[in-house]
Parts: sequence; C-alpha cells; structure tokens
Amino acid sequence: MKQILVSLCCLIVAVSAHAKLKVVATLPDLASLAREVGGDKIDVGAMAKPTEDSHFVDARPSFVVQLRDADVLIDGGAELEIGWLPPLLQNARNPKIEVGKPGRVQASQGVRLMNVPTSATRAAGDVHAMGNPHFIVDPIIAKTVALHIAQAFSAVDPPNAAAYDANYKKFETTINAKLQEWGTAMLPFKGQNVVAYHDSWVYFGHRFGLNIDTFLEPKPGIPPSPSHLAEVIEKMKTQKIKAIIVEPFHDRKIAEKVASSTGAKVVDFAQYPGALPNTDTYVKLIDTLVARLSAALK
Amino acid sequence: MRNLICAALACGAITGAFAQNAEPQASPPAASTPASTADVEALRQEVQSLKEMVRTLQEQVKAQQPAPEKTNSNAPTLPQNPEEQTAETSSSPAPSPSAPPLFPTTDTAVVSSAPPVNANGTTLFPTSDESVTTTPATVSSSDTGSSLTQPIPIIGGGNNKNYMNISFDSVFALAASSERHLDRLEVGDHDPQQRGFNARNGEIALDGAVDPYFEGFANIVLKLDNNNQTEIELEEAFLQTTGLPYGLQVKAGQFFDAFGRINPTHPHTWEFADSPLVNGRLLGSDGLRGVGAQISWTLPVPWYSQAIFAVQNGRGGTAYSFRNPGDNGVFYGRMTIDRDASALHDMVFVPRIENSFNPSDTQTVLFGASGAFGANDTGPNAHTQIYGADLLYKWKSPRAEGGFPFVKWQTEAMYRRFEAGRGLDNLFPVEEIFRDWGMYSQVLWGFKKGWVVGIRGDYLHMQPSAFTDDETRQSRSRISANLTWYPTEFSKIRLQYNHDFLEENDFLASREADSIFLQFEFILGAHGAHKF
Repeated sequence: MKQILVSLCCLIVAVSAHAKLKVVATLPDLASLAREVGGDKIDVGAMAKPTEDSHFVDARPSFVVQLRDADVLIDGGAELEIGWLPPLLQNARNPKIEVGKPGRVQASQGVRLMNVPTSATRAAGDVHAMGNPHFIVDPIIAKTVALHIAQAFSAVDPPNAAAYDANYKKFETTINAKLQEWGTAMLPFKGQNVVAYHDSWVYFGHRFGLNIDTFLEPKPGIPPSPSHLAEVIEKMKTQKIKAIIVEPFHDRKIAEKVASSTGAKVVDFAQYPGALPNTDTYVKLIDTLVARLSAALK
Repeated sequence: MRNLICAALACGAITGAFAQNAEPQASPPAASTPASTADVEALRQEVQSLKEMVRTLQEQVKAQQPAPEKTNSNAPTLPQNPEEQTAETSSSPAPSPSAPPLFPTTDTAVVSSAPPVNANGTTLFPTSDESVTTTPATVSSSDTGSSLTQPIPIIGGGNNKNYMNISFDSVFALAASSERHLDRLEVGDHDPQQRGFNARNGEIALDGAVDPYFEGFANIVLKLDNNNQTEIELEEAFLQTTGLPYGLQVKAGQFFDAFGRINPTHPHTWEFADSPLVNGRLLGSDGLRGVGAQISWTLPVPWYSQAIFAVQNGRGGTAYSFRNPGDNGVFYGRMTIDRDASALHDMVFVPRIENSFNPSDTQTVLFGASGAFGANDTGPNAHTQIYGADLLYKWKSPRAEGGFPFVKWQTEAMYRRFEAGRGLDNLFPVEEIFRDWGMYSQVLWGFKKGWVVGIRGDYLHMQPSAFTDDETRQSRSRISANLTWYPTEFSKIRLQYNHDFLEENDFLASREADSIFLQFEFILGAHGAHKF
C-alpha cells in the first residue's frame, strides 16, 4: 500500500515536473518562433491555419478553450487579428494572458512598423492604422520577436529560463548565418521591382533590397479590377517586372492571367510556415521563399 | 599596397550595397592582412598629409561663413527631411580594409534595442515603460539614415489610443410586396415595415474597458417609423466583468438574452433581411431583452462548454411572452393585468448551455439548449415557459480569403407553453394553454470572396384558439432566398425574396404573399469583431 502511494506520489511529481508550458499563438509564424525558443519545454498551438487569410479567421469556440488554458499568448499586436481575437479573449477569461502580463507577448512590441498611414480612412481599403502587420517575414524582426518570446517564457517559467535563453541564442546564430546565405542569393536582384497580390511583403522586400510596391489588389483587401490590372500589366511591361507573388488563399488565376500577358512568373509565396511544402520551420520557409523568388527573377 | 586598397574598395562596395543600416562599430578590426612596417609608415604619412589638407579646407570654409553658429559644419550635414532619405543614400560606411559580415544581421531601423539579458542567463521581461523608450530619437542616434517611412513605435500595453470604440451602423431596405400592410406580414421590429424605403436600424455602438475590472457596452438604436418619425431605444447597455476566477463572468444592465443563435445578435450580423418567424412570434419582435444580470461559466472540460444563466425583470414589449401589457392593454385577446414583481418567480429566468467541437480542422459545430421561464400578464397566476434548441455547422476553406468560401448551416427550434389567463377581472371566457412551436433552418454559401447566397425555411405552429382572432396567432410558413454582396466587411447590399403562406384558422382566411427586399448597410468606425 505504502509502495503504491509512494509510486503515485512519484508519478504526480514526475508529471508536474514535465508539465509543459501551454503556449497559444494567433498565427503559425509566431507559433514557429515559439517552437524554436521553447523546444520541448512547451506545447504550442496556432489558431490561424497557415494557408488561410489571417485577417479573417473564425472565432471558433475551441479557441476559447485554448486561450482559457494558455500560460502564454503570442499575438501580432498590430491589429492584424482585430477581427477575431477580441471576442475570444473576452470569452476566455484568462488573466494570465492579459495585455501587460508576462504571459502575453505582442510581437509588434519593439518593431518599427512600416507604412503607417498618416490618416485613417477606409476609402484606402483595408489599411492597418498601426502600420503593416506582416513583419515576421523579415528575419531580423523575427529574431527580435523570438527574443521577446524567450523573455516571456523565462518570466512565466523561470526554472527553464536557461534553456529558453540557449534556444534563442541558437536561433539567433542560425538566422545570422542564414542571413548571409539569403542575402547572397538575393544580391543579384537588388533594386528589382516585384509585384504582389496583397501588400504583405514590404518587410521582406526591405530586407533583401526589392521593391514590392505594385499590387494586383487596387487597394488592400479590394479584389483586383480589370482596369487596375491593365495598369499593372502596363507597369510590368515598362519596368520589365519578372515575378508576381501570390499566397495560398489568393486567386491564382488572376495572377496567371497577368503573368501570361507580361511574361512574368507567378511565384507561390506564403507568410506562414507550413503553407508551402517542406516549410515546417521558419528557416525552411525563408529558404523556400528566397529560392523560389531568386529562381523566378533569374 | 595597391592590392590592399583594391581589396578594401571591393569590400566597401559590397558593404555599401547592403549598407542600409550596417553599423561600422560592429565590424571586427582588420588585423589579418599582413603589411610591412614600411607600408604602414607610408600610410601614416599619407594620412598626416590628408589631415593637413582637411584642416586648411576647414579654415577656408570658416572664413567664408559669417554666421558663428555654423562653425561646426565640419560634421556631415544631415538631410533636410530624413524621412525622404532612402536606404541607398544613407550612411554607407567608408571603405575600410575590414571584413564585416556580408549581410547585416541587425537592423535598428526595424527593431528596438532588445532589453538586456542578465549575466546569470535569466532574461528580463520588458515592461511597457521600456518599450515606450523606443523613440525615433534613440534609434536615429545610432542609425542616422532610417530608411523607413514615418516609423512609429508600437506602445506596448494595448492597441487602443482611445478609451472607447465608437461605431455607427445603419441598415436600410427597399421593399416591394404583394401584401399591403407589410408590418403585419413581417414579424421583427427591424424588418421592413412598409412598401418603399425603410430605415429600421441606425445603431450607435460604444464599447471599451471601464477600468481594470469591467468592460462596458452600449447600443443605442434609432429607427424611423412609417411616418418617418424617429424612435429611439436603449437596446443594450451593460457592463461585464473581466477578471473573475474559475471561468466566471458576470454581466449586468440592459442586454439581449443568450437564447439561441439570433436573439443575442444585432441585425447587421443577420444573414437575412428579416428575422425568423419563430423569433418574432415567440420571443417577440424586439427580441428577448431587458434589465437584469447574467452569470456565465466556462466549464473546465477539454471542449468548449459554457453555461449561462440570466435573470431579468421580464416586463414590457421586450419581454413579449412574459409580463407584457400588450398593445393597448390587450394580449392574445385578454385585457392584461399590470402585474408587479410580487415574488421572485415573476421575473424571467433564462438558462442556456452551449457546446462546441470541431469535426475537422475546417469544420465547427456549435449546439445549444436554452430556456426562458417567467410570469405573463394575462392572469394573476399565468406563466410562460419557452424551450429552444439550436445547431450551427460551419465549414470554411483552409485557403479562405477574407473568410470565403464557406458553408454555414444554422437551425433553431422553439417550443412555448403559454398559460393564457382570463385577463383583467376574469373578463375573458376561459383560461387556455397555448402550446406553440416553430423553427427555421438556413444555409448560407459564401461561394466567392464577398458573395453569399442563402436559403431559409421557416415554420410556425400556433395552437388554434377557440376565442382569439389575433392575427399574431396565425400558423404560417415562409421560404426565403437571398444573394448578398459584401464589398468589404463594412458594407453590404442584399437582394432577398420571400414567399409567405399563412394558414387558415377559425377567424382568418389563408393567404399568400410575395415580397422582395433590397437591403443596404454601412458601418462607420471601430466595428466590433464578431463572435462565432
């Protein structure tokens, strides 16, 4: 009897010692950074699917349960999730993940957002008043976000702080090394113009010296119109633009049509790890993006 | 020597190519290149002569400048508008015989300096104050050529710069119908009420954090009646707790009851231009709402399960089946009594339980059961019980853009037991018990970004009464089809067709009606996110 009790106690201790930090990320890229930093010390789940438009995610009730049980919530923090996260948080009733608590990481903290509009008017389409929120595709920004995540994990789970710190440092070293590789691969195309379906590549373009400022959408979130596409085609011809970036949820047929009348190539891009084949980590995703774009621009 | 300079220039050119934000101080010193002492001496002399030259030039410049405050102009002049400065024109470090990393691995233009890490390996979590220090000034001191347009740091600790969100949402409908009195055919207060144009829902919505303990919400509805007179109502105004433990939440004030799917929502989220028959006839044309309090509890189970319980006064037109005096003091043919809350059971009690699970990654199911129990005004001991069940199924594409494509199926059924008393002073001939029930089922298919096609079937069975000729007690059914275009989530245009069939009873003949509605809507301001 005593033995059973002792072994039971041991089991409980063992279980609680191995209780992993429960992390919820709104977006798969944030989840991927959390995985880099947390390693086997955390369980992490993402709410948005890597292939879907992250502006419009259903506030599924199961997310309420995820948030209720979370030790840490990582969100973009720049109004990307404003259409679906607030009611979930209201319903989750989890004080650990309130803004300002150690269990809440807002990725945009410490990031200087680009394209901050001077005035907020919806006549300009789906403009984010705080600036463009698609910033994780810049590896340098990803490092900072990873650091913030590491700090949050350490604050919430001090016994594993050293592990989080080491994981972060490892990630930082990897990114620094990879940046040389990616930078070299993209160097021949510096200054080139690239067309994107939606304005979500400004940070990527900035990092690798590309001008990704022509879009198939006439305004953010507004579907392409024939007259706007005609303008884009004209521009692509005069500027000899070679690539059109589309994401999994965009209407690829439109991009293909534009490509066929300009001789450009459609490049399948994604902001989120897992959306493209063999991109289950952040580094693999950027590897794929760099490889695909440099192949198209050659 | 020449080789060395060539190498340095080449190195510098590459650095310059990437030099948006390269930090020269980060470059390791060039110690690896072997050089003879003679070479070094030659270099030193050359540098000395260059220094002399610079000094003479400086003096010449000084002599030409009369203004004394410009004497420090030997520093590199800053551009007039740093925001216009591009990455390419900025701060290329001078060619130096160093071997810096080819590609910069840091960029202070996009990220703030990270908070320091303690020597013992533990890290410090940044407080919101620290992130406020990410001012453009700090960054520009280390990075003179910020290449980003108007960088504004994100201040940690909340996205809103205002204390509340304000929005205005207005729904209009152009109606054509074979029924002359559309207000007698349509059952909801926000539904089109007359042929021609209707403005039945102009809604001012306010919400925000009250303090660290409460959130506040208010919905003030303005609508125009058929004579274009403005009616105003405080549709909702309540506060809600934010920090209760054990998954509890309390709400108090004037609010819609969590009965089924449609009742707690506002018209602009409805997928049809009018409300279902069963909602309008059993819960009331205004929906079931009132002043009271509600507690809800998220059950500690691995799936989503929530229990909700509300208590309200249950008085007046917004508690239609309860202590409702009716139009001109008559309800279901009875002269109503003005029944005060003499005991707790005179209030209305609204329990609900809802559960949700995901059959797959792209599918969600939510089902619930609701009840509403209270007294009614047709007699001193008359009571009403309403039971409801609802089901929602939604599929959304894993490659959804703007939330499309999707398929959504929603069904609600309700049963009401209404004890109709003999009214004021027992004037009515008999007491009756009405057992009424009804349901609707609707399928919405968002087939393309911004486009939704929908179909809905409605049925309402009102138990025939031998005494009342009330037209709201006529059994009926309806089929509706519509097509909605959402140019963005802030506007919509909807075309809907309704075919109504009203059944014959002891007093009323059967009839049919066809109606077409063209509904249009706009939303201004901070439009709140939608619940599932």
